[in-house]
Amino acid sequence: MNINELEKLNNEGVEHLPSLERRTFLRAGLAITGLFMGGTILSLTSVRNAESAVGAPPKTEKYPYSPHYSMVMRQNLCVDCERCMEACVQTNHVPPYGWRTMILERVREIGPKEKETIFMPVLCNQCNEPPCVRVCPTVATYKDKTTGIVVMDSKKCIGCKTCMAACPYNARYFNEEIRAVDKCNFCYDTRLSKGKKDTACVEACPAKVRVFGDLSDPNSEVYKLVHRPETTVWVLRPETGALPNVFYMNA
Amino acid sequence: MNTKTKILAALGLLVAAGVLCTADIQATAPTAAQPPAQDKQFESYGQTQVIAVEPVKEMFSHKSHVVTAGLSCDSCHPDLFERKRGSTKAKGDYNMASLDAGKYCGACHDGKMAFNTTGPETCKVCHGSDMKQPETIVFNVPVKSVIFEHKGHVDMGLDCASCHDKAFEMRKGAAEEHPEKFTMEALYAGKYCGVCHNGTDAFASNTRCTTCHIGVKGFERKFAGAAQVEGKDHGKKEH
Repeated sequence: MNINELEKLNNEGVEHLPSLERRTFLRAGLAITGLFMGGTILSLTSVRNAESAVGAPPKTEKYPYSPHYSMVMRQNLCVDCERCMEACVQTNHVPPYGWRTMILERVREIGPKEKETIFMPVLCNQCNEPPCVRVCPTVATYKDKTTGIVVMDSKKCIGCKTCMAACPYNARYFNEEIRAVDKCNFCYDTRLSKGKKDTACVEACPAKVRVFGDLSDPNSEVYKLVHRPETTVWVLRPETGALPNVFYMNA
Repeated sequence: MNTKTKILAALGLLVAAGVLCTADIQATAPTAAQPPAQDKQFESYGQTQVIAVEPVKEMFSHKSHVVTAGLSCDSCHPDLFERKRGSTKAKGDYNMASLDAGKYCGACHDGKMAFNTTGPETCKVCHGSDMKQPETIVFNVPVKSVIFEHKGHVDMGLDCASCHDKAFEMRKGAAEEHPEKFTMEALYAGKYCGVCHNGTDAFASNTRCTTCHIGVKGFERKFAGAAQVEGKDHGKKEH
């Protein structure tokens, strides 16, 4: 039956609806309500892995990758000069409508009529449990087995954009030129694989907000920062369970 | 019946998931571009708006000094000024700092014998009425979008000499000509803003970063019109 035929049909009304059908409908409604209520109650109980709020130290003896690339953001040093964004655009040929890293801005009340601005640099968190990888139907995006970097194989990408919806960090955009989703890969192809020790954004930052390195190496600066005692280290959206590898702290 | 129930439940879930996903994306998207602020007259993007580089014409009235004040020739010549056009300028130190140190005009204009040269009102006596006080100064070198509320500082009761020409030369863009000097380290060492922003006279330079560093976003919000002219829209597009 096509849509034109449907339009010609008369409205049957509800008077003659068999009670069985009503019951079925109500049952479906109850099932859905129950499902959501169940979810709500579950969410009130303590989160299984609430420790992921601080994320880093794995309970097993070591980090899963080697080098386990990660980045620490010393957030309060960021002044939104956006040199990191400029360097990234140049190095990785990011089109004007796209982004691999961004600076978010937040205004916080610190007293009566007193406000402060907080800038938060964001990029792909190279999660240990990346939701984008889980949803990709063509395995175009995957965790690099050695470094743990979430990489794109643009040839395999079919542009379904499911990964963009799945990413909790809004770290992906669709690149019209290559007809594939593009994202930060810690400058793996443009710098790290050419022997450079850090990413373009890290090199460009005048305030040393970003610290990049191997989290599995106890002598690296990132390891020392993330494991420093008496320091609050946090990750973004820990509740997603994605176990991100970009850590935030105040210097 | 059971199959129908399941299908309906699945449909409901899909819709809910869709809503959640969209909410997620919106939450992380950067703030949309702000509507243009009210018209504000600024000479150009990121430049300060100070006086002419050269002193204005007829800044010195020979007549008023000789006839009105009744000074003799040897009060000024040749000890303070040689009797030759352009000779003082050629010396290279004919500036406010020298005047402050008692050279040239500063020999008399010290605030006692004659009005001083660096008071809040007396600048204009010589430099003319074309001297405009900037309201807000935005520095873009060495890092972008650092704001200085000139008017706010003047209203606080500071006079020209509090900052000029020791901390800052009174010339548009002068500090930015030396990005290697105009750094936070210099401020911590008590130069530039650090003269007052040392933790004693005003909040220390290594605290409250974003008070002055309003960021590219802060700048674009404040001067929306000017920013568009410069065409710097990277990172501000809608998704």
